[in-house]
Amino acid sequence: MDYFAGVDIGSTMTKVVIMSDRIEASLIGPTGPEHRKLANRVMEEALGKARLTFEDLKYIVATGYGRINVPFADRQITEITCHAKGLHSLLPTVKTVVDVGGQDSKGIKIQNGKVMNFVMNDKCAAGTGRFLEIIADSLGVPLEKIGEISLAAERIAAVSSTCTVFAEQEIISRLASGEPIANLIAGIHDAVATRISSLVKKLNVEPDIAVTGGGAKNIGLVRALESKFGCPLLVPPEPLITGALGAALMGKDICDKYAAEGQKPTRSSRGLEEATFFK
Amino acid sequence: MTEMRDGNGLATAEKLYTQYGSRARELKAAGKKIIGYLSALGPVEIMTAAGVVPFRLKGNVSEAISKGDAYMESIVCPFVRNVFDLAVKGKYDFLDGMVLPHQCDSIDRTNETWSYTLKLPYWHFLNVPHVTGDPSITFMKEILRIFIGTLEKFTGTKITDEAIAAAVKAHNENRKLMRDLYDLRKSNPPAISGTEMMKVLVAAMSLPVEESSALIKAVTNEVKAKGAAANGKGKRIMIIGDQIDDVAIIDAIESTGACLVMDDLSLGAKMYWQDVDATPDPLQGIAERYLRKLKIPTTFVGSADTYAGILEERFGHMKKYVNEFKVDGVILFIYKYCDPYGFEVPAIKSFIESAGTPVLYLEDEYSTSSLARVKTRIEAFLEMIA
Amino acid sequence: MAEEKKGRAVATSTAASIPKFVRGNLSATLKAKEEGKKVAAAFIADGQDEIMRAMDIVPAWGESYSGVCSAKRQAEPYLQKAESDNFSRSLCTYATCNIGFDMIREEQGGTMPEGAPWGGMARPDMILGNGQLLCDPRFKWPQATQHYLQDVPVFVTNMYYPPWDPNIDHHEQEPIYVKYITEELRETVKFCEKITGKKMDWDRLAATVELSDKTWDLFIDTYELRKHIPTPMDTGDAMNTMVPLTFNLGTQEAYDFYVNLNAELKQKIADGVGVADPEKYRVIWAAGLPSWFALGDFQYFNGKGVVFPVEVTYRGCEKIERLDLPKTNDPLEHIAWRWVRYWTHWYDAAKKRSGSTPKVERIIEYIEDYKCDGAVFHSAFSCRSWHAGIMQQAATLKNVYKDIPILIMEGDIVDISSYNEADTHNRIDAFIETLAAYKKRQG
Repeated sequence: MDYFAGVDIGSTMTKVVIMSDRIEASLIGPTGPEHRKLANRVMEEALGKARLTFEDLKYIVATGYGRINVPFADRQITEITCHAKGLHSLLPTVKTVVDVGGQDSKGIKIQNGKVMNFVMNDKCAAGTGRFLEIIADSLGVPLEKIGEISLAAERIAAVSSTCTVFAEQEIISRLASGEPIANLIAGIHDAVATRISSLVKKLNVEPDIAVTGGGAKNIGLVRALESKFGCPLLVPPEPLITGALGAALMGKDICDKYAAEGQKPTRSSRGLEEATFFK
Repeated sequence: MTEMRDGNGLATAEKLYTQYGSRARELKAAGKKIIGYLSALGPVEIMTAAGVVPFRLKGNVSEAISKGDAYMESIVCPFVRNVFDLAVKGKYDFLDGMVLPHQCDSIDRTNETWSYTLKLPYWHFLNVPHVTGDPSITFMKEILRIFIGTLEKFTGTKITDEAIAAAVKAHNENRKLMRDLYDLRKSNPPAISGTEMMKVLVAAMSLPVEESSALIKAVTNEVKAKGAAANGKGKRIMIIGDQIDDVAIIDAIESTGACLVMDDLSLGAKMYWQDVDATPDPLQGIAERYLRKLKIPTTFVGSADTYAGILEERFGHMKKYVNEFKVDGVILFIYKYCDPYGFEVPAIKSFIESAGTPVLYLEDEYSTSSLARVKTRIEAFLEMIA
Repeated sequence: MAEEKKGRAVATSTAASIPKFVRGNLSATLKAKEEGKKVAAAFIADGQDEIMRAMDIVPAWGESYSGVCSAKRQAEPYLQKAESDNFSRSLCTYATCNIGFDMIREEQGGTMPEGAPWGGMARPDMILGNGQLLCDPRFKWPQATQHYLQDVPVFVTNMYYPPWDPNIDHHEQEPIYVKYITEELRETVKFCEKITGKKMDWDRLAATVELSDKTWDLFIDTYELRKHIPTPMDTGDAMNTMVPLTFNLGTQEAYDFYVNLNAELKQKIADGVGVADPEKYRVIWAAGLPSWFALGDFQYFNGKGVVFPVEVTYRGCEKIERLDLPKTNDPLEHIAWRWVRYWTHWYDAAKKRSGSTPKVERIIEYIEDYKCDGAVFHSAFSCRSWHAGIMQQAATLKNVYKDIPILIMEGDIVDISSYNEADTHNRIDAFIETLAAYKKRQG
């Protein structure tokens, strides 16, 4: 059996998927700058789960924000291509992917697992998971709870500022003037969904639409996005690993392509080491 | 200046690129007057005819703005801000003066910020019109005459029609030499990389015209002698934008295995594709080149009867480049806060895409601080068109 | 602009008719078709008002409509629409708001976007742009709009004035500029004749220009009444009372409006009614368009005893006699001279004060004439044309005049997303403290 691994080093999470003809193991590694460079540890753990050794892996593809810093990867491919690939294998009817990550959001148009077009947000935090995190933090609500809380809102309290700093101030003062927290959280979800949908609408959006990334785990955000796109959104069973899954699949494709020409791909000479220099 | 000989053209360009302005500094020490300008509208023929050295200012994408923000708003074009910041910090202390052609709000609204802060001995704002009809050509000649008058006063020497005609010839020759070098990018893979080409373009705009021509010739000979490789596999990319004057973004493209084979940049094709016609009144040819032939978003054209015709007038040259240089994908790279280019994005994008060439639109600051993000987009685009 | 001003007790009652002007201009575009008139998308202060009025062309003021959308806080969906086709958020938001509006109306086959403020604005039959030393969007916006209204012809005029240069005699340059502008305006007339299929009535144009001149004079006479202490009218009000001059120049209604305003201000002076009671500090609005969605900030100033008896913004005219215009029988040439001299008539004063500039001279003149204690500038992030160079003006003002208190506020004309009321009020409070200290020092 041939084994392929995909490593997705995002801005807040490190994800690893090991596949054969099925997913052998997947792991979502801890976050934070200290852990980010320990992609090797996450990989080791994933290998342990799959009862495999590093030598069993035929090809490793790194993707995500930190892809260039994985010394043991054989190839680097952007998360755009990998997300499209991974998602297509899970939900083949999807034509538009909305990925809401910790530090950025993107929209991808897919046809037969290939990227047709894509958009990414600018460096501003609005329209990303980071925005929700900051607001949740300043409201003293656990991040994983905000989605559910927003569903309890009686109305969406409109938040006019999309700049994180201003929105934070605005929310605090609205809270002080008696606006229920659920309404405010619904307002914030609405604001984030607005930013994301206006980004993704730069593409010619076609259903089915799927949401991936950390944002897909937030039911409040998914509902808000559904109202912006005017249709239900699909969410893969584990929305965080589509990038790593796609990376592993890309690895398999690469090996197959070389094999068809009777060749073998060049591999990294490096072992399972720590990530190198990390900006 | 390093003596130009066969085989060291690229090395010379590299040196002039990394030590930008070093030759102007030498010339200044030798008693020459150095006049700076900022954009493709800088009327180099007239400066050359006046016996001064036209020197195009560039910014530094790796350098954070530290002093300029005390004088200039952050809503101004990030390129203009960056160059101004370098000037305030003394990077261009060899300048005797500047000519600021009216190109966009970011330049004309900050004319006084520049002139009152830098206090150079010579300053001129050249009021280039935004439209191109016959009254504008007449007006353009008038303002070129005013410009000539101020330069004459500054240098104490008359600028004759003969001198202008000679300068026109020298700059036309210079442009032709650069186009010959561009021709070497048509092979697959291109005989000269996009990164090398950027260094040559930057080096060339820092030199007096004869030296610039000698440099281009040396590079062309060197590249020809090296011979072309066979069987290029990398995707062939064209970049469209304005003031891109650094290899950072081109490195980001070429480090993925793609090749930058053509550009429509302010210091590239926009500068070199159009010659000045030799006219009985030499100013007629100059006015026509800068106003009508130069295709930049701040000069309005729209005389065709249909919108399709107008698009062809405005952007037809881009499609021509795509065909001539066998371009697989176009990167449209626009700076934030740029109204002239920003308003063209949907039109350019759909115009080029309608011919079947994919376009990646990127909006960014004039800074390498966001290069990682830009790189991911470029890589994803290249994976997409692979 | 010109939104109902609840609670602006200090506002002039004449200004209450402003919404009628703005609505009237909008509905004129909607009624034009049945009246057999052509609609031109047009821009303020670009010298084409009289040509349009004399030819019965109905101007559709995009800047005005974006201002309305902003004041009603309804611009966001239009901004987003434009953004969805890759118009950057950093571009002029007057333009992107309007383009987004046009895009939606086109997609709906000409039906107005649902809930469009004040009934919307009609599809133009032509677009009249202008390349000036004023604003790039005035020739880029027409081009960008044409991408969505592909059958609508665009004409861009060029109207320049001699750039400020202390070492050049601008008087020598003026005739070159006047000749150029006159020719450009003649081309504009030809274009309008082609689109409307009607010939220009030159006598009517001359009469319209004469009416404009009279309106310019009356406007200045009226505004000069604000020199009175306490001032009877504030910049907050002027952001509304500029409408007839700016959008209805060359009409009798515009002239009549200032007749009424003039009478009201005289009455207020006679009655001793001021904007603030007590009036503690007088401040000039030295540059910048206001945040239309936050005009209430002027009331915040007024509430603390700060008044703006004068502003540079939208004072788009001057006493005709002061401009010393050469005699001509050609109304287009007259417009050209008026335009050039409007800008250059501060040049001589600037030459006399070393290190000064015409823009700063103008501010100094107003500070002195209107007895101001400080200056406020507003910097809008999406508008370079009015707002780049403000820091230089403020610095020059301090250098060549005196060290008066200056506040540079930051916001936008349309985009509300980065505006923060609490922060803005804090900065205003701090500025008022410096005003207090300054007045104390002055004795």
